[in-house]
Amino acid sequence: MGTVLFQNVSKTFPGVRSVRALDDVSLQIGEGDFVALLGPSGCGKSTLLNLLAGFDRLSDGALLFDGRPVTRPGPDRGVVFQEAALFPWLDVWNNVIFGPKVQGVPKSEYEPRARELLRLVGLDAFAEALPVQLSGGMRQRVGIARALVMNPRALLMDEPFGALDAQTRLSMQQLLLDVWETLGTTVLFVTHDIDEAILLSDRICVMSARPGRIVRTIPITLPRPRSIASLTSPAFVAYKADILAEMNVVHH
Amino acid sequence: MSVTMEPAAPTDTRAPAAPAYDAPSGTAGAASGRPRGATLRRPTRLAGRVLLGLALPVIVLAAWQLAGRGGSLFGGVLPTPDRVWAAWWTWAFGAQGLGLNPYSGTWLANVLYSAERVAKGFGCAILIGVPAGIAIGWNRIAAGALDPTVQILRPIPITAWLPFSIAVFGIGPGGAIFLIALGAFYPIVVNTSQGARDVDRMLIRAALMMGAGPFTILRRVVLPAALPSVFTGLRIGLGIGWTAVIVAEMVAVKSGLGYVLWDAYYVGRMDVVIADMITIGLLGFLSDRLVLAIEHWALAWRRLQSHHA
Ligand SMILES: Nc1ncnc2c1ncn2[C@@H]1O[C@H](COP(=O)(O)OP(=O)(O)O)[C@@H](O)[C@H]1O
Ligand SMILES: [Mg+2]
Repeated sequence: MGTVLFQNVSKTFPGVRSVRALDDVSLQIGEGDFVALLGPSGCGKSTLLNLLAGFDRLSDGALLFDGRPVTRPGPDRGVVFQEAALFPWLDVWNNVIFGPKVQGVPKSEYEPRARELLRLVGLDAFAEALPVQLSGGMRQRVGIARALVMNPRALLMDEPFGALDAQTRLSMQQLLLDVWETLGTTVLFVTHDIDEAILLSDRICVMSARPGRIVRTIPITLPRPRSIASLTSPAFVAYKADILAEMNVVHH
Repeated sequence: MSVTMEPAAPTDTRAPAAPAYDAPSGTAGAASGRPRGATLRRPTRLAGRVLLGLALPVIVLAAWQLAGRGGSLFGGVLPTPDRVWAAWWTWAFGAQGLGLNPYSGTWLANVLYSAERVAKGFGCAILIGVPAGIAIGWNRIAAGALDPTVQILRPIPITAWLPFSIAVFGIGPGGAIFLIALGAFYPIVVNTSQGARDVDRMLIRAALMMGAGPFTILRRVVLPAALPSVFTGLRIGLGIGWTAVIVAEMVAVKSGLGYVLWDAYYVGRMDVVIADMITIGLLGFLSDRLVLAIEHWALAWRRLQSHHA
């Protein structure tokens, strides 16, 4: 459960000057895989993720989640947004339980789970804080807890740490590694940060812009469990050199 | 340092400036950030503000009082403040139904008549205006169906509806309530629809992702997000409501502050007219404060935001 299949997917945004954001993209993600989507700004990473999330319709091709065509958003695909997109009028606790609550899940079922997730992301002491009282990193942790509390079969993350300062970003990457290690959910992770992509994923799909295409897929076989200490290992540096070389080829 | 593929890694301007660790930005800063002595200075500052605000009315009242001769100005047209005060006192606390003064002791009753009409009309305006505004701001079909009608009717001044209102509701409170509701409806519906239109698209997507249906999204996302605009509409609408009740009572109702206003003018009781005007002003002010207090309570999350952001 949690498998993804993009088959020759294209996406054109209509308009006076229509934009072909994705062109003939094929991508397969197996159960429990952690796939990073790496590419420069504007190459169509968000577009691809939004299609899988069900926020947008594809123009061409087929998109299957767990073997069924994606038609609309749903709690089986938890999304973590770049700016967290928490409800500013709800405290941390109510943001986290929003999903199960509106789905009519019994309290006895979601409350222990929400409490456990808040502990997992280190926010059990901030259940009553409003989003605005939190730092960017803490808001993002709420965003992750709120997605995970729904028991999604896939986690879709769109540059979730892109707006954080370097140090917070490192601690969030470690947190995500730990959380993923215990839950093993399928993850599609969008980023423009090469280090982040190598550190987190089993496989990196490198994208190019105009039209948006996946130009190369690089398996990352660094041993797990990983930690941010891996960032300086020789294997890591070798991957990075390889991808940087690839980038140059793409850009010139 | 990590290599990024963009010219510069974007930094979140809303996040605290480079915290050494991932600490809450608001709670600690709020406690330690206030300069010492600010709490001491605050009461004196408040007293100063009150004094400053009172200066102009006191000067005007004093000049008005001193300019008068034999209790009035302009050849008996405008009574001096002491006469107005005396008239109000009789109006408020005088014995009812005795003597030649028909207003004696009727102040509270008339205040309650007018306030009740405003409350009823304003309540109707909220009950219709907020859902209609949410629908117009949120749904394209609702906007297409309702917005043109609202926009065409809106320029008709509330006073122009008076004959229509009397024809339909006759002489009585029904017409007043109708005019108040109509007058308050427009700013409420316009502001609410604006607020509903401006809801952050990412919040809607987040709710969709969490399995919320259309009605849940309207109630739990669009409505709270639009609430600041709703309150703007409520405060404007309430002001129009007071205008409408006075106009309606002057012409088409036989009770209330508007009725007394016009009746007192007719029999030359300018002291009662002015006491009435001040009463209306006071009620308008107090009811606005009430809405403001509710807004403060309902939008507490937003006050925090403006302090910390
Ligand atoms: N709703 C939209 N309407 C029109 N063009 C869009 C829309 N969303 C994205 N695009 C365009 O599609 C391209 C890919 O955008 P996006 O997927 O957001 O890139 P990335 O996430 O990789 O930065 C860009 O050229 C962008 O301008
Ligand atoms: Mg993007």
